[in-house]
Amino acid sequence: MSKTLDLNELQGNILRGYRADLTNVRYLFLEVVNLGEARRFLGAAIEGVTPGIPKITTAAHWADQKPQMCFNIGVTYEGLKALGTPASSLATFPVEFVEGMTRRALKLGDFGPSAANHWPAPFDRPDRLHLIATIYAVNQDILDDIQDQVSQAFSVLGVRDARARTDANVLGPQYAGDGSPNNRVFFGYADSISQPKFNHLTDAQPEKTSDSAPLGTVLLGHPTRMEGVMFRVPSPKALGLNGSFNAFRVLAQDTHGFELYLDQAAEELEQMLGERMDQLLPVDGEILIGFEKGQRREALREIVAAQMCGRWRNGTPVANSPSHPIFNIPNKDQAEAFNAFSYAAPSACPVGAHIRRTNPRDGEVVQRGSNLTRQMVRRGMPYGPDFDPKNPDNEERGLLGNFIGANLGAQFEAVMCDWLNLGLLHPDITGLNDPLIGANTPETSAFDLLLRDGTSYRLRGFPRFVKTRGGAYTFLPSLPAIEYLSQLKSR
Amino acid sequence: MANGAGWFDRFVNSLPERGWFKSLSNIVVVPFWAAVDPRPKLPGGPRPSVQPSESLQRMMNLIMPLKNKSPVGRAMAAMVISQNIDEIFTGLDNVGTIHFARFIIIDDNLCMLSVYDGDFSNYIRDFIVAIGNVFDGILSQVEGGDDVIPTRDNVDKFIDWVHDRDLFQLPDFATDIFALQDAAMGRPANSAAHKLDELPRAMILQLKANPNFSLGGGYRGYAGLSVAQIRQKFGLGW
Repeated sequence: MSKTLDLNELQGNILRGYRADLTNVRYLFLEVVNLGEARRFLGAAIEGVTPGIPKITTAAHWADQKPQMCFNIGVTYEGLKALGTPASSLATFPVEFVEGMTRRALKLGDFGPSAANHWPAPFDRPDRLHLIATIYAVNQDILDDIQDQVSQAFSVLGVRDARARTDANVLGPQYAGDGSPNNRVFFGYADSISQPKFNHLTDAQPEKTSDSAPLGTVLLGHPTRMEGVMFRVPSPKALGLNGSFNAFRVLAQDTHGFELYLDQAAEELEQMLGERMDQLLPVDGEILIGFEKGQRREALREIVAAQMCGRWRNGTPVANSPSHPIFNIPNKDQAEAFNAFSYAAPSACPVGAHIRRTNPRDGEVVQRGSNLTRQMVRRGMPYGPDFDPKNPDNEERGLLGNFIGANLGAQFEAVMCDWLNLGLLHPDITGLNDPLIGANTPETSAFDLLLRDGTSYRLRGFPRFVKTRGGAYTFLPSLPAIEYLSQLKSR
Repeated sequence: MANGAGWFDRFVNSLPERGWFKSLSNIVVVPFWAAVDPRPKLPGGPRPSVQPSESLQRMMNLIMPLKNKSPVGRAMAAMVISQNIDEIFTGLDNVGTIHFARFIIIDDNLCMLSVYDGDFSNYIRDFIVAIGNVFDGILSQVEGGDDVIPTRDNVDKFIDWVHDRDLFQLPDFATDIFALQDAAMGRPANSAAHKLDELPRAMILQLKANPNFSLGGGYRGYAGLSVAQIRQKFGLGW
């Protein structure tokens, strides 16, 4: 079986990101109030020739001219119902999508301060949240124009803006002007370096490497990474085929709290490591990390930040370079340089590090054969005001994240409940949560820093740094599916 | 209430022991209650929980009625299992999160009982990836099994299918039944206060809706430890 994919039939945000070219994004949270208007809008958005209705961006290759704007939609289960999808078809969608994000809370770690009953509008009324439209644009004016157009057909329940940032935006103005690409997120890390790559548009199985993924990773109706396993394509085929699912998350990051914790951890390490300090930060190690001689505490903070993430804040994988970040790699070469690494034992990257838990690559995992099967596409953009640790504030800021895959249960939820929290993928971390984004409490949190001699030092007492402030599971329909939805006749 | 209870209380408390009342309750009282105040069948398997110690080791009690309810049918099921036992055990080993699993037949039901780490859906999905083709043979012996064969093409459906046949686990604290019933009826848990003296009725009606069930979450000899942690500790290779 080797079907070739028609890129004109796919929504564009599944196989590629827009952030490199379009640095502003707006999410519109929509309710269907006038069914006729909603269907008319969807029908017209496919062709995109009707004045006042944006065209849905497909996966078709951009020729020389890059677009000024990209527009895509996701539909919740409630949205499919509101658009009049027949019950027989609704019954063929997977249970996690039907239940919706709020009812999957315990699996996702959305309890305590992250519980859905604390989420602000429009996420407090999942029954009314029908569609999420995403606008990427070169400037704010375009975002406003498209929002106006969409609001003619739907009731806009809420709006969220986000934009790409440089290191100066997330780590303070002292970092300005060193030419870093605008892929920084709060906590200071470069983001979106590793993504499954779809460099073949047929169903032929690609080589089993970590960065080449079969289409079934993100598209319904294609072979997946699990041998012989196909996910159910919702019926009718016109609706389900080449669709995808998205977990949209509003993730507030306690940026100030994270920096404060790094201070605390560095101080503790200075006091407690004693003779073992050489195994974490050798003499003059701070210079390699980018500090002046003697700035030991600053360097220790960066080591903690790097080991907790699995990457130094500029993106250098700890697995490749445990003692310092690698500087001076040209921007265009960074993605490749920062992606070429392995967790083959013995690895210099702690097993509990964020990026190793969420994507264990070739490292040994308890669930043999699951190394790559839970991979998904991530598209995120930071929201909220810029942050400067020298002038900290406690404004809400964080990430608007999209976690895209053909099966929410097998990918997003599987990572969230067993690996990110609980740490079931490796016996050394089982029972512990992800240090960066896990559902931690200071009473029980722990993270083992890896020293050069293979021993570890256990850090404890860090709080939950990331809180869920909203979200929804959406279905990302193909273009034929959007046409199907626009032509429904019921009600 | 035991001290100073009046004759009427003592009489009411003795009712469940009286033969005439047992008949009356079976034929009239319980069916009447169930008709007036029905309780939905509660879902099987362990409930999601926050604490790792509770959610780490979990129990599955999968009950699958045999198609052929006769000694011949039971023998056929036994044959399918024994012919494939090596592959089944290898598959379970590859899932990596299973402490114990065994098959038994009780009253023409083929049962698979297992203790596994972590999430139910991940367990079943990984199990099917490992030995879906072998399990298809087992499913051909049980009622409703044909709906999910081949399992590798029906992973989502099969997970739901197993969940539906996994025994309801009665909460360890009896009063927790109220919140579960509220949730199943789409109400916020304990939004209306429940009276303690309604507990017996709530329990009886629930056990009418879920005639087979597991009594509580079960005992664990080494709670909070995963299979891989134990294998690692004893140098067995995980």
